[in-house]
Formats: sequence, C-alpha cells, structure tokens
Amino acid sequence: MSLKDEISSMDMNEIVDLCIDMEQQAIDLYAFARDQAKDEAARQKFQELVDMETVHKVALQQFDIEAYLELPPANLKVTDYLMEPIFSENLNTQEILILAAKREDKTAKMYQDLADHFTNDKNLNTFFQMMADEELRHKHDLETEYEKEFLQEG
Amino acid sequence: MMRREQPKSFNTIPVKERLTITRQSMPEQDAGERSANFLEVNLGLTPKQAVIEAQRCIECKNPTCMEGCPVSIKIPDFIQLICNEDFLGAANKIKEDNSLAAVCGRVCPQETQCEEVCVVGKRFEPVAIGRLERFVADYALKHGNGSINGVEKPKPSGQKVAIVGSGPAGLAAASDLIKEGHEVTVFEALHEFGGVLVYGIPEFRLPKAILRKEVANLETMGVKFVKNFIVGRTMSIQELMEDEGYDSVFLGLGAGLPRFMNIPGENLNGVYSANEFLTRSNLMRGYEFPEWDTPLYRAKHAIIVGGGNTAMDAVRTAKRLGADEASIVYRRSEEEMPARNEEIHHAKEEGVEFMNLVNPIEFIGDDEGNVVTARCLRMELGEPDDSGRRRPVPMEGSEFTMDVDMVVIAVGNGSNPLIAQTTPEITTNKWGNIVADEDGRTSMEGVFAGGDIVSGGATVILAMGAGRNSAAAINEYLKTKVWSVA
Repeated sequence: MSLKDEISSMDMNEIVDLCIDMEQQAIDLYAFARDQAKDEAARQKFQELVDMETVHKVALQQFDIEAYLELPPANLKVTDYLMEPIFSENLNTQEILILAAKREDKTAKMYQDLADHFTNDKNLNTFFQMMADEELRHKHDLETEYEKEFLQEG
Repeated sequence: MMRREQPKSFNTIPVKERLTITRQSMPEQDAGERSANFLEVNLGLTPKQAVIEAQRCIECKNPTCMEGCPVSIKIPDFIQLICNEDFLGAANKIKEDNSLAAVCGRVCPQETQCEEVCVVGKRFEPVAIGRLERFVADYALKHGNGSINGVEKPKPSGQKVAIVGSGPAGLAAASDLIKEGHEVTVFEALHEFGGVLVYGIPEFRLPKAILRKEVANLETMGVKFVKNFIVGRTMSIQELMEDEGYDSVFLGLGAGLPRFMNIPGENLNGVYSANEFLTRSNLMRGYEFPEWDTPLYRAKHAIIVGGGNTAMDAVRTAKRLGADEASIVYRRSEEEMPARNEEIHHAKEEGVEFMNLVNPIEFIGDDEGNVVTARCLRMELGEPDDSGRRRPVPMEGSEFTMDVDMVVIAVGNGSNPLIAQTTPEITTNKWGNIVADEDGRTSMEGVFAGGDIVSGGATVILAMGAGRNSAAAINEYLKTKVWSVA
C-alpha cells in the first residue's frame, strides 16, 4: 500500500501520529549520530538537530490546524547542488548541515506531494501544506546557518 | 574615563585651508608591468606627500578616528609628529599600540575603520591614515633601530609565557608581554614566522622582507622565536606548562583549515583551496619556480571562486603566474563583495575578469583526472540576509559550462582542529573555534586564546586587538595568579 493510500484510510489523529513517528525517527537518528560522532563540534551540532526535531514533535502533539496561517519561507537552494554526505562518525559540522538540510528538503517534498494529492480534502490539504512549509522553514534556517558559516566568501 | 590630552600641534595652516588640500595619491607600479611581476604594487608616499597629507588633519577635539581603530593607535598624535617631520617620533607613537605598523599600513581595511569615521571624511575625502601609518613605519624600518626610543628594558618578571602561532594575534601579544619583563617564546608550526601574513598574503601586497624586519624588531626586544614546532604534536600544552615551566600560554593559531564547497569534482587535479594555492606561491615561493622548488600550474583559464580579499590575492597571483585568463567567479554582485575596493580596483586594472552572479555546481575532469570544465548556474539577488547583503538565488534553467584548467576555492577557512583534539580541557564550539571570554581566558587555567581561532576568520588588526587584550589579561594573571572566567 502506498503512503497516499495508507493516509486515505486514516483519520486526522492517526495522520498526526504518523507524522510524530517520523519526527521521532529523525530524533533517534540524530541522537545516534551524536553518540557516534568523534568530534566535539559534530556532537554539539547533532544535539542541536535533536533539539530542533524535538520542538517539531512537540508542536505536532499540540497541533491546531485552525492556527495555521504562516506563509512559507523562500527556498534558498543553497545546499540543493551540494553532494549529500553519508552518515559516519567522522562527519564535520559543514557536512552535518548539508545532510540535515537535504533531509528537510526531501521531507518537504514528500509533504508537498501529499498536499497536492489531497486537494479535495481541505483538512488534509491544509495539514500537509503546513507540514511542507514547516520543513521548508527548517531547511531555510539550516541553509541560513550554512551560508553564514561556510560561504564567507573570503 | 580620563580625558585624553590634546597632542601638541605642529600644523600652522588654518583649518579652512587644510580642507582644501587634496588627498595624496599613493604612487603605484604600472598595471601592465606589475601584472607580470610579484613586486609590491603600492610604492608608498614620499616624505613631502606624507607631510602634506598629515596637514589635512583638522585636529578634532574628539578624534573619532581612534575609536575606529581596534588597537586604539593615537592617530592624531602621530599625524602631528609627521607635520613636524619627526617621522621616527611618529613611528614610535604608533608602536606604543601597534607592533606591526608596516604590516597594518598595508593590509588593514582603513576605509571601514579609522578612515570611515574621520571627521574630514564627512564632507571631503578622509585623511589617508593608513598611508601615513605605512609611510612612518617604513621610514622607521629603514632609519630606526627597531626598538621604541626612550623605553627602558623592563625588569625581568621571572615568568614565562608561550605564544602558540606567530600570526598577528601572537605577535601583538608577544610585543606587549615582552614590555612587561616576561620571558616570551613564540612557537610556530611552519618554517617562517608571520602566520597568515606570510603564507596568505602575496609578496605584491605585503613584501616578506617587511614582515621579517617586524619579527626581527621583536627579537631585538627579547622575544624568542622557535619554528617548525607544532604545539599539539611536537609538544602538548600540558607539557609546555608542566615540563617546560611556562606560567601561561596564549593560543593564536588562526583559521587555517580550508573550506570547500562540497560540490562534485573538487578533488580533481587543478582544483586548489585558496590556502594551498597561496601557501605554495607565498610561503613556498612557487612564484620563483624553478629557482625555488615548488611547482605551480600556469593556467590557460583559472577561475577563483569567492569575492573576498583572499580571492583577490589568489586571482592576481594566478595572473602573475602567467594565466592567459584569470577570472573571479562570485555568486553575488560586485556591490556585495567583501573584498576591499582597492583590491578589486587593482585586480581589474591588471586584467582580471569578473564573472558576478555565477556559482559553480560541478567540476568535470578529463580521463587523467585534470579539471577541464566548470558547470555553473547564474544567480539573481533576492531579499537581504543577516549581513544586509542581498542574497543570491539560483535562476532556473540558467546552467552553462566553461572551459577551465585551474580552480581555486576561496570561500573561507575554519579552525585547525589539532588543539581541540589534543587538549580536551579546552572547550570549543560547534564550529571548532576555541571558546574564550572577552579577555581570551579559555576553560583551561593559564591558557588564553585570541584572533581567528576564537572569532573565526576576521582581519589582521582585529586579531592584533585580541592579542593585545589577552596580553593585558595574561599580565594580570601572572601578577595575581587568580583565574576567573566570567
């Protein structure tokens, strides 16, 4: 069964739970990477990502579709053309930021695809649009940080 | 706060008339000639020009120029001494606050510091403070004895300080600490002293002979210099303190770890970091190959990715090495370039091409792994970012390729991770920079840090300011042995 079919058979609470599970997977992944990382700077960066995903998870748990009004941020595309690093214990902060921004981008695209699929269901469409925008917002924040630190243009 | 005494005036020209004097131009080598040699571009003011330029100062009661200087050089005082043609006196006045005046006179971005806030500059061109600093510093190197006149050798304190790194932060700290009577030793990993000043800045902008003289002056003052010594490998910080008896250590390691873009093809032959390219040319004297044994490729088309001073140094070096074409590839427009206007202007005069609003996304190699093509995107400017500069955004469908046989990546540098790896007592942040308070105290007692290793890549004078701040704090620590981190 495809994700779209699976979602079609769920109610709103179940869909939110599914998204919370996905956030939890991200938290677990970054926590694992943090514990494996050899470099202190990398550990700090992974911990920041754990914290960021935890904030998303809590936001979803308190989710209120009526409160959603925000406009999506601009997609900076700073990391779109960069090579995707492979998870390892030796990742540096630059690679971690690229990896995290690309994950947010992929997740945003998945939610956008779902939003586009459920155009006939206002609640589902709004929910997935909100999720896509939220992921893009995270990508925007990560790319802003990347740009500031790694594209100093010296 | 104590009110600063007004310096003795030697300028007899009425203020109104001073404002009619034209800012003195810096004589320089002809662009056509200099783009084929590594001799210094700027030739320095003549004594007559220096006096005329000094006479443009209107002796403000509240001189804002000093506030614009990170090491608070007594600018009005030294300018008045130039008016009196006391050039050695002027040099000594600068040396009270800045041990590397000949260096700063050449590489400081005065237009965004002292000259930016010069009162004359509000209506006219500001007084050329940087050019005057350079003039008197060069005069002193030629005619002076290297030490500050009238300052007696201090009584030995019996305390030892190790300075790790001989870049601007380390040299500034060493200069201040030796004046306090401490035994000061500078440890340098490379085979020449000066850090980024020697490996990063080309001969045509900062002749190595100038730097060597500045270092020699510090030696005359009693600073010991040890080269080819890698703290963290040759000896740890703990060993320096426990076995060698150093009472305090200052870490001025700089930001020498090159950063790449993480796009495909950056590992091809012919793709350099700016750090490697400039080190080969500057420190290893690649520009004098084959007299010096460091080969450097003579490109048909060299592109340098970036828009800062390092990018300008690299592209002008590539041109001088014989590149048929040398181009800056920069993802924003010229307006947002962080490089000094003077460097951009000189690069253009020397025939450098500027490809602005362009960003490479891949380098492609031939069968032998040599770079031959750059795939690029055109960019457009969007909303301003945190720095206030408009942000570049890729234009859909704008991709194009160009032939290249040399690429230099000049997008910035990070911190060397060696100290963080070998000294876990010293806390670093997520960027690998050492965490230190405003006086440079780290998390390890007796160890201070300053300059780019703390702040990330910045200017020479800011690194010197940090070195001086730490020197004052080290001096206080050595007197009291009280270690308090704010």
